[in-house]
Amino acid sequence: MDSRILMLPLAAVVASQPAHAIAYLSVEQAQQLMFKGQTLTPLPLALSADQTAQVERDSGVKVYPGSLRAWRADDGYFFVDGVIGKHDLITYAVALTDDGKVHQVEILEYREAYGGEVRNARWRAQFVGRRHGDPVRIGADVQNISGATLSCAHVTDGVRRLLSIYAIAIAGH
Amino acid sequence: MNRPAPRWIALAAFAATWAPAAALNAAEAAPSAASVQQLEQRIDQMQQQLEALRSEVQALKAQNNALATQQQQQQQAAQTQVAAATPAPSGGLAENLSLWGYGEIYYTHPVHDSSLTQFDLARAVFGIGYRFDERTVFNSEYEVEHAIASAEDRGEFEVEQFYIDHQLASWASVKAGLFLMPFGLLNEHHEPTNFYGVQRNFVETLIIPSTWREGGVGFHGNSALGLSWDVGVTSGLDLNGWEINPEEPQYRTALELEANNVAPMQATHQELQLANAQHLSQYLSLNYSGVPGVLAGAAVFTGKAAVPSSPPGLPDQRVTLWEAHARWTPGAADLSAVYAHGHFSDTATYNLANVGASNPLPAEFLGYYLQGAYTLWQRGGMRLAPFVRWEHYDMGASFEGIPPGFTTVPTGLAADGKPWPQPRDTVWTLGASFYLDPHVVLKADYQSFHVNGDFTRFDLGLGLNF
Repeated sequence: MDSRILMLPLAAVVASQPAHAIAYLSVEQAQQLMFKGQTLTPLPLALSADQTAQVERDSGVKVYPGSLRAWRADDGYFFVDGVIGKHDLITYAVALTDDGKVHQVEILEYREAYGGEVRNARWRAQFVGRRHGDPVRIGADVQNISGATLSCAHVTDGVRRLLSIYAIAIAGH
Repeated sequence: MNRPAPRWIALAAFAATWAPAAALNAAEAAPSAASVQQLEQRIDQMQQQLEALRSEVQALKAQNNALATQQQQQQQAAQTQVAAATPAPSGGLAENLSLWGYGEIYYTHPVHDSSLTQFDLARAVFGIGYRFDERTVFNSEYEVEHAIASAEDRGEFEVEQFYIDHQLASWASVKAGLFLMPFGLLNEHHEPTNFYGVQRNFVETLIIPSTWREGGVGFHGNSALGLSWDVGVTSGLDLNGWEINPEEPQYRTALELEANNVAPMQATHQELQLANAQHLSQYLSLNYSGVPGVLAGAAVFTGKAAVPSSPPGLPDQRVTLWEAHARWTPGAADLSAVYAHGHFSDTATYNLANVGASNPLPAEFLGYYLQGAYTLWQRGGMRLAPFVRWEHYDMGASFEGIPPGFTTVPTGLAADGKPWPQPRDTVWTLGASFYLDPHVVLKADYQSFHVNGDFTRFDLGLGLNF
């Protein structure tokens, strides 16, 4: 612990190096965490204009083409998605079971100076078991974290949009 | 002999002639060695064919996977092209630039003296941010208070924040510049859509001097378990800012009380304006938000202040402020509480050098409140939430260096014929916020003052942020 504290001022000096976003989990690590030992095959996800409009109506969240990537696992689905916190992109992963229920949510990258409390395991655990059609809104259904309101609200919106895309484009109903 | 055979012998003979025939048939039904070999060969062949089929299927599966990956990559490429054409989710104008802002307008109507009714564009704030790289961001906020800032006007244009933040590791970041102090519930989240009541509460304006910012360096981080910390070294206070002997009361309405920078730390914080930095201060803030819907935290700030220049030779004086806060949002309710307590040390010498002053320097100042809000109705982004708050503030909880026979607030009447206001009060606020949208709020409240009864007022407000 002492050496880490000493290193902080040094690190600050060295900080001029160009940096990649701090990744809490890589995509591969998240895949292994959520679907241990399984092979995941990429699932092409191209929404038609009609489906996009349907998803936006159903979830109330704007769809940005290319921001959602999907994989098929042996017993479920794995997604990587991104939402804006206050100004910057939050990259997160969601695992769905075969019947479309949220199994796990993990934050992969968080860039903003504040609001990183979305990484709290207990906050993310609130999504487990939700499926398309269940209420998924910050406030009533998903408790907020004071001080990380925008990040919490936008990740909640992202999960709701993702469940909508699953229902409309993958499960096909 | 030619006697006919008994029946059983005939039967046995009959059976005997047929038995070998039957046995022969049975022998014929069992396969010969040759046909067994044939069958085995056939099974072998079928097994080989099965193996061949199996490896074909596996090859096809692998091909399928490869094709799927290829397809996904092509899709990715196509979608990236489309994404490049359509705006990706972004917080700003250009790729790394962000612009945001907020503002609020107050209408305040003291119920006992309508001549003091005021309508004020309390603040118009805009923020500019720039992202240098994935780990480094610049944030700044600029504010105009009371609509017009000039030498003849009462408004101010100020830089409220101006700092760089850099992520060192997943568990720690560093910030440097002019930044908000992590105290209370309001200071760091002071947009009008983030608090109840037309004007900010008194505890977090008069005791914690929101919007409180200092210049310095801070380290902060949060753990996945829910503990956030923030510690740093910053500029401190300058007690020369204290108005020790005003001829007239410094405020006559609650609006002026909050806006005129009269409270202990409001009058003495330097906001990095040619700040006296002979002494630096330190702060530490801890928060726990591990249980969704619950927030609890505390913070302390301490440092020597620049002492008043007159009379010379005053002893060192230390400023300390500590606070504790909690917030709980069960269902549609929003409950919060804050306690704040500040100290100015060694004020006796300065007060004794100004005997009979109308506004001596306090040794202690404190405040606390309990607030409850409830979302009564919600549809889409619209929301109606009434609230109630009980608070107590005391800008002069104790004094040193006041000789017997002298009071800390002038007795008698001021020049305008009214008594001087007391620096402490207990206030009940009852009101409601109506959100047209999460970014736009209409507010109304009624505030009842127990000590300074003529501050009692009805207020309306408009707030927005983007």
